[in-house]
Amino acid sequence: MGRAHEVPVSFDNVRDKNMMQLTKLNLVIFPVKYDGRYYSDALAAGDFSKLVYYGDICVGSIACRVERVSATTVKLYIMTFGILAPYRRLGIGAKLMGHILDVCHKNATVLEIYLHVQTNNEEALAFYRNFGFEVREKIENYYTDIEPPDCYLLVKELSRILKGRNTT
Amino acid sequence: MGSSLPPKEANLFKLIAKSYETKQYKKGLKAADQILKKFPEHGETLAMKGLTLNCMDSKAEAYELVRKGLKNDLKSHVCWHVYGLLYRSDREYREAIKCYRNALRIDPENIQILRDLSLLQAQMRDLGGYVETCRTLLTLKPNHRNYWIAFAIAHHLNKEPSKAVDILIAYEGTLEEDYPPDNERYEHSEMLLYKISLLEEAGDLEKALEELNNKLVKIVDKLGAKEIQASLLLKLHRYKEAEKSYVNLLEINSENHRYHEGLKKSLGISVENGTEGVDTVTKLTDLYSDLQRKYPKSVAMKRIPLDFLEIGSFRSAVDEYMRPLLRKGVPSLFSDLKSLYSQPGKAHVLEEILLGYESSLRMNGSFPGSTEQEPPSTLLWTLFLLGQHFDRRHAFDKALQKINEAILHTPTVIDLYLMKGRIFKHAGDALAAAALADEARSMDLADRFLNSECVKRMLQADQVEQAEKTASLFTKDGDQHNNLYDMQCMWYELASGDSYYRQGLLGKALKKYLAVEKHYADMVEDQFDFHTYCIRKMTLRAYVHMLRFQDHLHSHRFFHQAAISAIRCYLRLFDSPPKSAAEEEEAAMRGMAPAEKKKLRQKQRKEAARAKKQEAEEKLKEEEAAFSSSNKGGKKGSQPPKTADTDPDGEKLLQVEDPLGEATKYLKLLQDHSSEVLETHLLAFEIYMRKKKYLLALQALKRQLKLGLESPDVHRCIIRFFNDVDNLPPPSTDSGKLVNSVIELERSCFKSIESKTLLQANESFLNMNKDSLRHRAAAAEVLFLLAPEQKSTAVEILESSVCSHSAGGGEIAEGVPSWGLKDCCLVYDIFSNTLKDLDAASRWKSRCADLFPFSTFFNGVKSSATCGSENYTYCRKMQASQPPGPLAANGHLPDFSALKIIS
Repeated sequence: MGRAHEVPVSFDNVRDKNMMQLTKLNLVIFPVKYDGRYYSDALAAGDFSKLVYYGDICVGSIACRVERVSATTVKLYIMTFGILAPYRRLGIGAKLMGHILDVCHKNATVLEIYLHVQTNNEEALAFYRNFGFEVREKIENYYTDIEPPDCYLLVKELSRILKGRNTT
Repeated sequence: MGSSLPPKEANLFKLIAKSYETKQYKKGLKAADQILKKFPEHGETLAMKGLTLNCMDSKAEAYELVRKGLKNDLKSHVCWHVYGLLYRSDREYREAIKCYRNALRIDPENIQILRDLSLLQAQMRDLGGYVETCRTLLTLKPNHRNYWIAFAIAHHLNKEPSKAVDILIAYEGTLEEDYPPDNERYEHSEMLLYKISLLEEAGDLEKALEELNNKLVKIVDKLGAKEIQASLLLKLHRYKEAEKSYVNLLEINSENHRYHEGLKKSLGISVENGTEGVDTVTKLTDLYSDLQRKYPKSVAMKRIPLDFLEIGSFRSAVDEYMRPLLRKGVPSLFSDLKSLYSQPGKAHVLEEILLGYESSLRMNGSFPGSTEQEPPSTLLWTLFLLGQHFDRRHAFDKALQKINEAILHTPTVIDLYLMKGRIFKHAGDALAAAALADEARSMDLADRFLNSECVKRMLQADQVEQAEKTASLFTKDGDQHNNLYDMQCMWYELASGDSYYRQGLLGKALKKYLAVEKHYADMVEDQFDFHTYCIRKMTLRAYVHMLRFQDHLHSHRFFHQAAISAIRCYLRLFDSPPKSAAEEEEAAMRGMAPAEKKKLRQKQRKEAARAKKQEAEEKLKEEEAAFSSSNKGGKKGSQPPKTADTDPDGEKLLQVEDPLGEATKYLKLLQDHSSEVLETHLLAFEIYMRKKKYLLALQALKRQLKLGLESPDVHRCIIRFFNDVDNLPPPSTDSGKLVNSVIELERSCFKSIESKTLLQANESFLNMNKDSLRHRAAAAEVLFLLAPEQKSTAVEILESSVCSHSAGGGEIAEGVPSWGLKDCCLVYDIFSNTLKDLDAASRWKSRCADLFPFSTFFNGVKSSATCGSENYTYCRKMQASQPPGPLAANGHLPDFSALKIIS
């Protein structure tokens, strides 16, 4: 048994012209229906929102919201992160997360990345821990229409030397 | 020139000519006016002034002046030349040729006029005249290369290739030994290759080959030379050498199918599709297994054997062929395999293999008999291929099932949605097809192909307005109509014409069809510049190729479709002429009180006055625009100012006086260029019957018979013809009697009605073609025509038709009804419009709704026409998500524009 055919993985920004790809992905990956606000945030996040391609096929995405902290610093909130079911366990998600972290490291304004994960999603928790995310708190009744309604707040602080400037 | 003038004015005259050539029209005009002040009747000056004005967009005045000038000085070659130039600028080449000839009568050795004349003769294919003009030119200027070449080409076009060869040899005799210099090597090489092609055309293959071999050093197109060499060897039956040449060519490019054909021929293996004997197959199999070993990476080596292999070995070959392509994800794989479906049994084998792939990929994630894990996308592409496979076999339910599974697997692949739309289109649901194409489009707003496909589907669903909006997303500044016309976007014009035709808007439809016809006229026009250019650049092979292509231009599919549809429009116009405006008004006025009438009249008068005023204003504006552009212009080939379309809806086209005359114009082009198509002669018949030109109709009938002995349409025409002719009143004139006797004589050509009454002929036609719905339809229609009292029998003939179901061995999958959707729609039309039996029509409709559940025409349960069906909901949803949702706009998202990306 072996996988002889390595398929190249590539990334592309979310743009107004391919927005529908993101919609199609979310429709099958997540139980939640996202509104226009979500899509405008994702678009505004620029390099922090990505589609990931397996060969020529779009199989997953990360959509972020950039939240301003001060004039020069921001926090990154991961709104959605997902890979289509048939394409999981191929390391695509790790590559995507790695790519986004790279982008963050190159961009000096990002202080931390955070997201919410449903409490029963062991797989996801393990995945994010692997990338250095830590549980900061448990929020009860975060979700309104899925079970369980509780979630964890996961945070990864980006260690960087801030040149003599205090952060809030 | 200007000889009759005193020196000062003669100089001024020269200035006019010079200004014309350098396009300084204002200067020329001033000079002309200066001369005319003194000599107001000077012919040549008047003519030149006219020519200058012609370039400044004063057409009418130009013609007036040139004609006046000519009248004042009939003996001047200048005046005639100018008159010719004027006609040429208006593309009236025949008139221009006449003028040039008159000019040459006065000044027979004028090079400029001779050259202008030769170009027109080439354009109009006046080949005899072209040869003569070229001869004169060469005699006058024997040391000019271009005249030699033009003379040779003229002979070639005039079907005397051997003379053309002689001329080129004579021309070569004038060249130095060390010719060509480095900067002319390409030109010389093209000349040599042209000469070789002439020798070949003259039938002297030996000499052609000899010439090729002798001049090999001087030929720069090395690959072209090799190809010609190989094909000459083949034609000379020197097979061993030909084989070697083709093997060498395959070494250069193993994917070129022409080389494959050549190699097979030189090995004595002739391949006619599907008819090769066992012997040939063995030979081919051996040949290709050798080649595959030699070129393991070549796709052609693996693909070509699929065409000739017998089912047994086909199975393993196609299996091996498809696997890597499915793994790689080649969306075009199906079009590559499509040609195999017409071969008996192969479709079935493909189905078995593909279903095997699917279950194995689902179970183990690998192909059958392999342990290698496939990427997840392999299953996706297998499902995609299966969907297309079932669609091709008309098993639409299964096709949809596979496509839906594929979409569920990977919802981001756009091809899937396109394909699903196509399946709906084939199954008869144009609305759902358009909605799906729109969904596909929304997934990549930057893709012009998706946009075009969507526009086409919308037009097929008669959503013209939406289609126009969608198309304009990709045209310049949203000015889509002019833009699409300027781009000669003919698929769009044909599709929207068809939609208008279906909706009964004949004027708009005609407008679109005639636009296509205009594009073809423009293409013919476009060759004009090449007559000088190609000879100068020595691209002779390509030039002659282009000329021959132009000669057959009107046989192209798009022209054919446009002409056929335009003729149909004219026939419909003839059968039910539109009401004129006056008639309509009268109808509206009838039943109005006198006071109301008066009011209406007043209102109309006011409106007319307003319209007039507006028109005048617009005209003024246009003139201003024209003036300013002519001032700015002066660049060569600057376009005439765009005039607004005065008839956007084709209303004027509807008011044509003689629709049959218009139709005949297009029919002539079809008869000249598409005589091998049955449709041409069916339409010819329709036109001539309406014109009561019975002999021409008879001619059309005989041509139909040659092309479609068994065709139900031909049967219809034959019976209609003799029925009409037999029921004519006895002819009173001699010519009428003559016509009748010719028809009587010709009657024996039609075997189907020989020694039978027409009714009997129809009956035996029915008996011979009992199992075909289309034939039954024709028989029923004809029966009703001959004997309207037997209407119930005609209904019976149609209703007792039995639809068989395919056994699945051939192209069509098992259990699929053998009737075509189109034929069934036709039968419905006969029920409702010809027989006018609405009960039978509705019975037929519900019967067909069962056969074609996706058909909107028959209100099939699964079609979008049926409330509550899946497609119905889907179409509603897609329509609801139209503007102002972000999907419809093309990259224009007003909500997002205010947001800035923080970095």
